[in-house]
Order: sequence, then structure tokens, then C-alpha cells
Amino acid sequence: MNAKLSLPQLSLLAAIVGGTVGCASTPVPSDRVASTTAAVRAAEEVGASGNPSAALHLKLAKDQLEQARTLINDNDNRRATMVLLRAEADAEVAVALAKEANLRGEAQQALDQVQQLKQRSL
Amino acid sequence: MRTLTTLASPAFLAAALLGGGATVLACGTTMPPKELVNARAAYGRVQATPAGQAVPAKVYEAKKALDRAEAEFADKGDEPETRDFAYVAERKAILAEATGNAAIAQQNKAQADREMQALNAQRANNAEGALTAARQQLGRTSDQLAAERDARLKAEQRAKEAMDNLAKVASVKQETRGVVITLSGSVLFASAKYALLPSAQDRLNQVAEALKQGVEDGSTAGITVEGHTDSQGPDDFNMTLSQNRANTVRDYLVSRGVPSAGIRAQGVGEGRPVATNDTAEGRANNRRVEIVVEPARGNAGTAGSAPSTTTPGPQGTGTNPYGR
Repeated sequence: MNAKLSLPQLSLLAAIVGGTVGCASTPVPSDRVASTTAAVRAAEEVGASGNPSAALHLKLAKDQLEQARTLINDNDNRRATMVLLRAEADAEVAVALAKEANLRGEAQQALDQVQQLKQRSL
Repeated sequence: MRTLTTLASPAFLAAALLGGGATVLACGTTMPPKELVNARAAYGRVQATPAGQAVPAKVYEAKKALDRAEAEFADKGDEPETRDFAYVAERKAILAEATGNAAIAQQNKAQADREMQALNAQRANNAEGALTAARQQLGRTSDQLAAERDARLKAEQRAKEAMDNLAKVASVKQETRGVVITLSGSVLFASAKYALLPSAQDRLNQVAEALKQGVEDGSTAGITVEGHTDSQGPDDFNMTLSQNRANTVRDYLVSRGVPSAGIRAQGVGEGRPVATNDTAEGRANNRRVEIVVEPARGNAGTAGSAPSTTTPGPQGTGTNPYGR
């Protein structure tokens, strides 16, 4: 999940590096940083900051993305990976909430128009 | 705003009580972290709502995420990674709910759009229907007008022809009392008789045609047949003779199809000469039958299509072989 390496490959790597480093290091989760960054951008594009619930999750996503970057700088890739997981989940929620709000607005507008049309034809 | 359940959850309170009260139980059951409690609540919520039912795949993803968190909790207890997975699981449940609500909103919008289309189509239909009806009405009206104009033209044509034909056999003139058709007495009757001569019938047939025309097209209000004599002979004899002659002509016209209700006969005698009784020619002119056609009110124009000036009968008035 957190690396492109398969389990046998990982154990092999651990066996080789294990002697010198002492413990298996987690690779930098650059793919997840990229996908989370993209998700945050997507949330901003659908107007997540204009909807309170979406804005909250967008903020959580951004904060945790920053936190993950700091962790990566500190070589705590394992923790960074988990924080990125949280950040991406928040960014996705922000996108979904913003879309929901937009669609609700459009649906309401359409319903209002139908209502107007009905009243005019009476 | 969606709730990220607070610390005041029953599970947390229970954990606090247990932790504080009995150290004996410390290595017993571990209390689930609040992230997991929230994730369970969020999943339980979305599962039961129409939103969740609208997007079963998303709900399934939320379920998998929750299962992952539960497995992590069962394996390792309240560890940071357990909280991470629970945190993500709660977001997956919220995501499912939002996506479901969006899908429902989209359905509502599509429904409203269809309804709007139907309403617009109906309105367009109604407008088109009204337009078609108006066009048809207009078409009918102009058809009617054309038909009426045709009928009127034909009627005028027939009336004119009848009058033209009449003009060949009798004098026709327009007077204030109506159109006056004058037939010479010598053409119709033998002297002092009131039986029609055979030669009279052709002329009267044409007169009858013209009269019928006028009655049929409604331009005639009434017809009066007047008998006139010259001044020779006793007044009462002339009066009776003129009455009998008028009756004869009237009866003949009725027998040719002129409606009897609209035609009456009147003997005038020698009272209304049109020429001097001192000459043979004048007396011949005075011996006559006049048929007065009264125009219907407002229809005088039709009668006006008859020659408005006096036209002499073809028989002329110069000679009167039957002089009385």
C-alpha cells in the first residue's frame, strides 16, 4: 500500500540494508504527496472554500499535507504516509461536499423554474 | 455542518470511569479511540439513509475502510495507526453520504428539467394549436367570404340577365315605387277581353323568370300587377276590365312559379293615363299592364341594375291593331 515494492522485494531489501541501517526504512511517499496535492487542488477548483463543511475538510487536508511534508523532511516517511492518507481522505470529502452543494443549488434552481412555469400556465 | 463526534461520547465517559475506578481491569478490554467511534457512527448513518442507498459502491468502500480500522484496533489496540485508519474510515463514510446526496440532487434536477421540457412543449403545443385554429378559422372565413361573393355575383348576373331578357319584351323603368315593367295591352289581350293571347305567354314567361329571380334572391319585397285602360267606354266597365286583366296576368305569373303570397292584382281603370287619350297612339299607350316590383328595404341597389331609363317595348307603341 505505501510502496510500489511487493512483499518479497521488501523483505529482500530489508535483509540487504538491515545489517547497516538497523531497521527497514519506508520510502518517501512521493506518489501519495502528488495525489493528495491534486485532490486539494481539485477541492479548491470545485469551490470547496465557499461551503462551510467542505472548507473545514479542505483546511484539514491542507494542514495535514503540510504536516506530512515536514515529516518527510524529518525522514519519518512511515508517519508521513499515514498523515497523507488522512489528508487525501479529507481532500476527497471536501470535493464531494462542494459538488453536493453545487448540485443541490442547481436542482433547487430547476425546481423553482418549473414552479414558476406552472404558475404562469395556470 | 457534519459532526466530528466530540469527546463527550458514552464510550469515552465509560473509559474514563473504568480507567479511574479499577486498575485491575487495566489490561482488560481497550476502549476504542474516538476516531473509531466516529467512524462507526458515520458508517451507521450513511448506511441507513437514501443517500447511502443511492451510491452502494461508495458505501462499500466506507465499509472496507471501517473493517480495516476495526481489524487494526483488534490487532494492535488504540495505536496511532488505528486512529489513522479510523479517521480515514469516517471520511469514507462522509464521502459516501455526500456523493449519495449529490446523486439525489442530480436526479431531482434531471426530473425538474424533464418536467420543464414537458411544460414548454405543452405551452408550445397550445400556442401552435391556437395558431392552427386561428388559421383554420381565417381560412374558413375567407372561404365563406369568397363563396358569398361568388353567390352574390352569380345572383346579380342572373338578375341582370333576367332583366336584359325582360327588356327585350317589355319596357322596364325605375320609379320611386319600384321597378315598373310595362306590357302593352295589345300584346296581351284581345279588345275588351281579359283572356291572354297565345302570343302573350312567351313574354309573360320571361317576366315570370325575372320576377322569380328577384323573389329568390330576396331583392323583391312585393309585386303588384296593375291593369290600365284608355278613356274610351264607361268607367266602371274599364275598372272591371282592368281588374280582370290584372287578375289574369297575376294568375298566369303564379302558374309560372312566382310565389302567390308576394303578388297581388289591382284594377286601376282609366285613371292613370301615361299618354293623351286624344290620339290612337296615346290611347294604345294607355292600354297596358304594369307590373310594379317593390325592392326589399336596403336592397334597392339590386333593382337599380335594371335599365334605369324607359325602354320602349319591342312591340313599339305606334300601332294598335286591337284598338278597343
